[in-house]
Amino acid sequence: MSETASWTGLALGAAGGLGAGLVIALAALFGVWWERKVSARIQMRFGPQQAGPFGLLQTLSDTVKLVLKEDILPARADRGPFLRAPLLVFVPIATSLLAVPLVTGWAPLDSSVGALFFLAVPSVSVIGILVGGWSSGNTYATLGGLRGASQMIAYEVPRSLSVLSVVVLAGSMRPVVMMGEWRWWWIPLLAVAFVVYLISSIAEMNRGPFDMPEAESELVAGYFADYSGIRWAIFMMSEYGSIVAASLFGAAVFLGGTHGLPGVWGLLVLIVEAILIITIIMWVKWTFPRFRSDQLMSLAWKVLTPMALLQLVVVGVVTAWL
Amino acid sequence: MNLVAYSLVALVTLAGAAVVLSARETMRLVIGLGAFLLGMAGLYLYHGMALLAASQVFLYVGGVLVLFIFAIMALRRDPDGRARIAVRFDLGAAAVCAGLFVLLVVCLAPLAPFAGPGSGFTLEQSGALLLGDYLVQFEIVGVLLLVALVAALSMTGGGEDR
Repeated sequence: MSETASWTGLALGAAGGLGAGLVIALAALFGVWWERKVSARIQMRFGPQQAGPFGLLQTLSDTVKLVLKEDILPARADRGPFLRAPLLVFVPIATSLLAVPLVTGWAPLDSSVGALFFLAVPSVSVIGILVGGWSSGNTYATLGGLRGASQMIAYEVPRSLSVLSVVVLAGSMRPVVMMGEWRWWWIPLLAVAFVVYLISSIAEMNRGPFDMPEAESELVAGYFADYSGIRWAIFMMSEYGSIVAASLFGAAVFLGGTHGLPGVWGLLVLIVEAILIITIIMWVKWTFPRFRSDQLMSLAWKVLTPMALLQLVVVGVVTAWL
Repeated sequence: MNLVAYSLVALVTLAGAAVVLSARETMRLVIGLGAFLLGMAGLYLYHGMALLAASQVFLYVGGVLVLFIFAIMALRRDPDGRARIAVRFDLGAAAVCAGLFVLLVVCLAPLAPFAGPGSGFTLEQSGALLLGDYLVQFEIVGVLLLVALVAALSMTGGGEDR
């Protein structure tokens, strides 16, 4: 896909969007099952076992249940925004997935500012969260939306700074080049940036231990408390979509992605690395207790941002010395 | 195709602006503003300014607009629970807007017509311009923002001794 307008570009864009949506749907099917298995192991249980081999069909039957459930519209909700908010959250995340290089030397959306695109576009989904929480006409949901927004804005700063280290080292914002320039010694050099990226990505997707916005014990479910059925499922899919996007991008630029392997082999290596990161993200969620709101903010501004800046200085010195 | 793409983006931008002007409900107004800002990013992209477009989405849609929504959520609400805008027909404001519009049209007319998509700047060119020829202007804008920040802090009486 090029950056100028053409009919083929439009068709490719539509196909890319459809593909990203399908990838996220499949990833959510697998991700929910994988999360249940991981959390079950952590709590010394077995997780889903009954539906299909290893309980693999459990999420499929859940999906059927979700699609058939009644789509409730609360009496005090603002109809238009309320019904469209789930898509406003989902679409930016699916779009950002297109900037991730999947095969050596190829990304669905190969842009010269791809890294910035990947960081910028998901931030649009904050608006969906705020609108969804607000238009429910419910205090819990509004509070959840507010918390989510303040958290996502705060953690965008360290997240962007950590990716900036890779951009400086690779000398390009094109994710394909960033992946191609990768060398093994980037792992020890960028360890701090990777940790900052991982933590701020978890916070950015509102997942535990940073799930203040949906804290079920105090806000019931936060910004999607009033949603049910298919619209709730879209919120859920967006969460897994952002896990997949952050993990794939992290694997591509921090862990070397395809390692220069051609075609499908490179893609397989990338997917294995991404599943590793996804497993770490789930492990973290089921191990650590939830952060308090003020702890969340001080972690972002007083710990992660200085760490990312320090990493940037180190990378700058190393780049000049190279 | 260029015409179709341009018209589509322009339509989104204008529709967003129309919603901002006509919406009675603040949250719909903000969604219109979001469509307008995204449309502007599309226009930048059409003229080949990919970096500018991505920054527009990052800073304005993802940042500034969310701050707007914060402010709106802190507004006083109606008994039915939603913040609304009182519509006033202010002739003075309308005159200022019309004057500004005419001024912009007069100033920008020599640049028309926007025939096709531009090639824009590459990332390297943008960086070289911002940190080379336009370094002083770039830094002055930064200082201006810092001054605005300090002014806002001192006006609201923030800080330790509040």
